[in-house]
Amino acid sequence: MTLWFLFALMTAAAIFAVLWPLGRRRGLGPRGGSDLAVYRDQLDEIVRDRAAGLIGEAEAEAARVEVSRRLIAAADAAKPDAAPLAGATFRRRAAALAVLIALPALAAALYLKLGSPQLPDQQLASRATTPMQNRTLDTLVAQVEDHLAQNPNDGRGWEVVAPVYMRLGRFDDAVKARRNALRLSGASAAREADLGESLMAAANGVVTDDAKAAFERALAYDPKYSKARFFLGVAAYQDGQGSKAADIWRDMLKDAGPDSPWIGMVREALASVGAPSEPASAQQPASGPSAEDIAASEQMKPEDRNAMVRGMVDRLADRLKRDGSDLEGWLRLMRAYMVLGERDRALSALADARRALGHDTDKLRRLDELVKELKLEG
Amino acid sequence: MIAEFGHYALVLALGLALVQAIVPLWGARTSDATLMNVAGSTALAQFIFAAASFAALTAAYVGSDFSVVNVFENSHSAMPLLYKFTSVWGNHEGSMLLWVLILALFGALVALFGSNLPATLKANALAVQAWIASAFYLFILITSNPFARIAQAPAEGRDLNPILQDIGLAVHPPLLYLGYVGFSISFSFAIAALIDGRIDAAWARWVRPWTLVAWMFLTLGIAMGSYWAYYELGWGGWWFWDPVENASLMPWIAGTALLHSAVVMEKRNALKVWTILLAILAFSLSLLGTFLVRSGVLTSVHTFASDPSRGVFILAILVLFIGGGLALYAWRAPLLKQGGIFAPISREGALVFNNLFLTSACATVFIGTLYPLALEALTGDKISVGAPFFNLTFGPLFVPLLIALPFGPLLAWKRGDLFGAAQRLMWAAALGVVALAATFAIQRGGPVLAPFGVGLAVYVMIGAIIDPIERIGLFRQPFAVAFARARGLPRSAWGTAVAHFAAGMLLFGVIAESQWNSERIVSLKPGESVSVRGYDLTLDNMIQRPGPNYRELVARFSVRRDGAVVDVLEPAKRTFPQRQMSTTEAALMTVGASQLYLSLGDIGSDGAIAVRLYHKPLVLLIWFGCIVMVLGGALSLSDRRLRVGAPKPARHKPSLQPAE
Amino acid sequence: MTRKQRRLSLIGAGLAVLGLAAGLVLYALNDAIVFFNSPTDVVEKHVAPGSRIRLGGLVQPGSLVRGDNLAVRFEVTDGNKSVAVSYTGILPDLFREGQGVVTEGALDAAGTFRADSVLAKHDETYMPKEVADALKKQGHWKTEGGGYGLAGSTKETKQ
Repeated sequence: MTLWFLFALMTAAAIFAVLWPLGRRRGLGPRGGSDLAVYRDQLDEIVRDRAAGLIGEAEAEAARVEVSRRLIAAADAAKPDAAPLAGATFRRRAAALAVLIALPALAAALYLKLGSPQLPDQQLASRATTPMQNRTLDTLVAQVEDHLAQNPNDGRGWEVVAPVYMRLGRFDDAVKARRNALRLSGASAAREADLGESLMAAANGVVTDDAKAAFERALAYDPKYSKARFFLGVAAYQDGQGSKAADIWRDMLKDAGPDSPWIGMVREALASVGAPSEPASAQQPASGPSAEDIAASEQMKPEDRNAMVRGMVDRLADRLKRDGSDLEGWLRLMRAYMVLGERDRALSALADARRALGHDTDKLRRLDELVKELKLEG
Repeated sequence: MIAEFGHYALVLALGLALVQAIVPLWGARTSDATLMNVAGSTALAQFIFAAASFAALTAAYVGSDFSVVNVFENSHSAMPLLYKFTSVWGNHEGSMLLWVLILALFGALVALFGSNLPATLKANALAVQAWIASAFYLFILITSNPFARIAQAPAEGRDLNPILQDIGLAVHPPLLYLGYVGFSISFSFAIAALIDGRIDAAWARWVRPWTLVAWMFLTLGIAMGSYWAYYELGWGGWWFWDPVENASLMPWIAGTALLHSAVVMEKRNALKVWTILLAILAFSLSLLGTFLVRSGVLTSVHTFASDPSRGVFILAILVLFIGGGLALYAWRAPLLKQGGIFAPISREGALVFNNLFLTSACATVFIGTLYPLALEALTGDKISVGAPFFNLTFGPLFVPLLIALPFGPLLAWKRGDLFGAAQRLMWAAALGVVALAATFAIQRGGPVLAPFGVGLAVYVMIGAIIDPIERIGLFRQPFAVAFARARGLPRSAWGTAVAHFAAGMLLFGVIAESQWNSERIVSLKPGESVSVRGYDLTLDNMIQRPGPNYRELVARFSVRRDGAVVDVLEPAKRTFPQRQMSTTEAALMTVGASQLYLSLGDIGSDGAIAVRLYHKPLVLLIWFGCIVMVLGGALSLSDRRLRVGAPKPARHKPSLQPAE
Repeated sequence: MTRKQRRLSLIGAGLAVLGLAAGLVLYALNDAIVFFNSPTDVVEKHVAPGSRIRLGGLVQPGSLVRGDNLAVRFEVTDGNKSVAVSYTGILPDLFREGQGVVTEGALDAAGTFRADSVLAKHDETYMPKEVADALKKQGHWKTEGGGYGLAGSTKETKQ
């Protein structure tokens, strides 16, 4: 309300600035200088310069004649300042009226199109009293939570906070937020799939029946929705139906455009179940994500990437538990744990790897190199 | 609320500019004083709203309101307060807001201090000023809105480009814009005069102080930018003939020519058509500079192609004002009456000479800057036109100009005595030759160009002050008499002498720096030394230091001369984590007008750090020259003649009196 | 002198100075300009050794080798061809592998580009214009994210 009052005040001031000179009647002859004053001064200047000995007499005389000629010409040209007033009142009123209407109309139209009057200032000081360096994500989340406690029906708010919960590892809260977003903002493929993802994360990467149902609902809205399809593949794999999973993922690849960011992930997943995605890439070593895949995963939202990485890491760990001879696999697993910030699990993976590779010195050397690189020990 | 206040103020400023663009013009056509008077109050109000808008954006920056996209993209909460202020114009949107604010400021100044102007001229000029302002307000609001918002303010901003986090760059754009935009006044006056159809000697006197002010700021702005590049880019160069620099140099040359031709017009009522053309060109080149820098044509096809709306909009503004101005000129200029007659050898002739060479020099810069763009558009060939091109074209054109420079003030109006002037310049020429010979003898086999450059510089400096020295009779009269005469000499004459003297200083600095500069690039480990020109620099140690929003690697050097420590230099490399960028902070040691210049490169695998060391003799003369030149301008500006025609305060109470 | 003569002499002087300027410009344009080449141009057009050119592209990731006494070697690539560059001196602040660069110098007989200057860029979003165009021509321009880099040809992502 204050804002609109302020705007009204400003508009009034602007209109006043235009109307004020229009409204004055007295003393408004075209004041201001004329060229006569300039030439008179030039004559004075010649006299001064001559007196100071700066110019010679002949020079001064010539200049005087010339300036005088200009002065006379200017005096002749100067019209008597009268005459204009035919229709003056009409013009004044027309101008005033036009300004009175056009100025506020233009300002309002333009501002309403461009401005965001509903947004309050969000200065740093009012957003938090502590200095920026000391603020953690938690205090920001706390602020959003405060806001949501007061406005529990703000669907957008829930949607914004959900990925943050995911990143903080507060998966149960993420599930709650996703459900609220779904309820308040309406169902869509993306919201259902996000819910499924949260549910899966809350169950330590296991695609529960709830999560599976969510993914299936997502596909009901959009049968091609890639995130849902991918995780249904994961679900099939976790159910022990590796070939079914591979079929789902291969179908995804068939539908993939050249710029789908998830191609790499899907190929990786296919490779991890031991199924070639297509003949050409079968020759690719299944050992690690290619540069392209990493680049592709970098284009994903971080929370998507995290969930995908987590799912893959768990699968990798399972596989290595069964067959520990794959050095590349161990290296990748340890790196992944470090990326996820799980140092303890990286260390235990290292111990497992040492046990499994125990006799191969070359492989052990490479293992040690990685340990050094990751600064895992010491 | 502050951000929205600023946004609305900007919209209102546009509204007022539109009123100011139409109503006074209508008044001038119908000789209606009341309507013409609208120009003044509207111009003031428009300035106030533009200033309010700018203040609001500044407040958003200072308060780190990241809900404003512009603030989020260019600020960081941990940034020092000073840079929170300066980052307001350290980006496209903010700098355009500053541009239009300065435009409004000049309009307001004309409204306040233009009481000596004829009413129609003032009304028309302010209306033209408002057309330009309207175009730029629209540009800002539609394509570059600094008040765009984000609903959820991000937690932290993206930081200002580290290279811009420097005090030199902080003051550089406002000065440069004061210059660029100041020429809009000359432009508006020229267009107003063309609309009016009456242009005479008085016009030149009215427009001259505004041109002078703009020229002074532009000079300072260019000098500041050059000094910033010198110490911040870490290369020790002070002028790169970079298109961005050329964009500011071209209006400066045109403005310098305009200042000189306006003198002829004022005194002799001659060169009117030419002066009007220069006034239009000076501002056109300013607009072109804005376009080149702001549209992204120069820096990256990427930015231009990804957001063509901006470039196309500025191009439209450019075509509208330059094309419109020149078309009006072609239509109206032939109607002007011929002015006074003069012989080729005369003050007028000398000023024409000056104008010819300045505009030719300006044309070569113009070609060198735009030819690569044109060639690429036509043939697809990509070329770079760099320093060699400009040295070959710009240099030779400036030599005759500088030789002729001291003659101008010594020649009489109308018909001058070349032989007499040459006789009076004997001393200057003699000293110049002495300097040439001395330099030649001292440097023995050094660069060939240096003695001639030094000789020319000495000649210009002495030649510039011969006129006032003779006039006041220094050395011939008792000092008291000379002093009294000096006071009696018009300030503009002093201004001329000082500014011309400064041109000699500048030349001296340029010659000394470019010809005798010595450079050492080495890699050093702690304890090792490097020498240049009798200075021994030892790398004592290297330390890491945290700054407010960066970390820096500082290398500490002790500088010895003849074994004694004379200074400690600490060049640094700063790393700004927010932008993943690093900058080089050069360390400077000043001895007289010369400098030792030390900057750091990378640390090699063996722990040695790359070091770039220069000795730059008399380099500071370059910038001192610019500053003295501006002082000359200030002296000239303070001349009472320029204030002529201002109504005596007691006679009439002006309608809007500033609180002085 | 009559008005007409005066005018003619003015115009004559003007033309003379402009002629001088034009002559200087033409001379300088023949002598003092440098053509820009992408690595593909260098390889395919057989640029003569010793002729001065500018070479621009991206610094091939992993190619930077620092030698003794500030000597560096790196490769400039446009995704299609690459050219080895040697340079002695301090690299600009913004020189990084995978980033755009413009170098000036000449090819030696062995086909190595001996650069005597490596151009500094003014900020991190500033891609030297010639480099951007050259990369576009080779189809390796990545538009999104405000950044640029060597994008694999399969991921030409254009929204």
